[in-house]
Amino acid sequence: MSVRGYHPAPASPVEQRVAALEALLTERGLVPAGFIEEITRRYESEIGPMNGTKVVARAWVDPQYKQRLLADGTAAIAELGFGGPEGDHMVVVENTPGIHNVIVCTLCSCYPWPVLGLPPAWYKDPPYRARLVREPRTLLAEMGCPLPDDVEIRVWDSSAEVRYLVLPERPPGTEGMTEAELADLVTRDSMIGAARL
Amino acid sequence: MSAPLSLSDLDLPRRNGELAFDAPWQSTVFALAAAVIEHAFGGDREPFRQQLIAAIAAQPGRPYWESWTAALEALAQTLPDRPMP
Repeated sequence: MSVRGYHPAPASPVEQRVAALEALLTERGLVPAGFIEEITRRYESEIGPMNGTKVVARAWVDPQYKQRLLADGTAAIAELGFGGPEGDHMVVVENTPGIHNVIVCTLCSCYPWPVLGLPPAWYKDPPYRARLVREPRTLLAEMGCPLPDDVEIRVWDSSAEVRYLVLPERPPGTEGMTEAELADLVTRDSMIGAARL
Repeated sequence: MSAPLSLSDLDLPRRNGELAFDAPWQSTVFALAAAVIEHAFGGDREPFRQQLIAAIAAQPGRPYWESWTAALEALAQTLPDRPMP
């Protein structure tokens, strides 16, 4: 800002702490020039649920790909060019008419970054982390995803190694759609298991 | 009044939800953790993850990125005194 008399707001305590961390870690030689900008750019524009939608759409149109995806998620996802931190051990779980899968990290915020990006706020909040295990049907209904009683709910808690991705069911009436059109139908929440398509 | 859409807006992950970060300090502390994991721990995410679990357990209601900051502060304490080669 070049406006005369402009004074930026004083940094909040947490901003000061982060600035101190940045100074300390940079001094240790752990933060190369441009690293923060590059990581931020990547997670704000390249890595996100749009990657996962491509994986799901491919699985819907290519039965052999789907077979590979369910057998070795990491390798099949890498075929589409996605991988990296938090995606070393990907397991894809398939929804069927009788089974609904949903993912959580009960201890912190583990999440399949390469295909979904960083998790939404609610995924990291205590109510979701605690209640999904205790009362999944009730919580999912409250989140706008009511499930019939005869649908089995499988809750997958991300461990140190494994990251899960839900393969939603292909919606009826989409037979004539192209792979790109199908990808547009897929939502982030459906790949977490917090929504159905 | 809505802001004009640019092509880059359309590419952002917010199409399926919110943006990854609400404030610059959040993306900074996220990237700092990535830097430490990559350059001090050879890509092993587990030491940071354990600190994050502990930070969240210590204050479950604390805003997420503040727990992340606390976790990184704790991890930084465990680094050796000398700079990494």
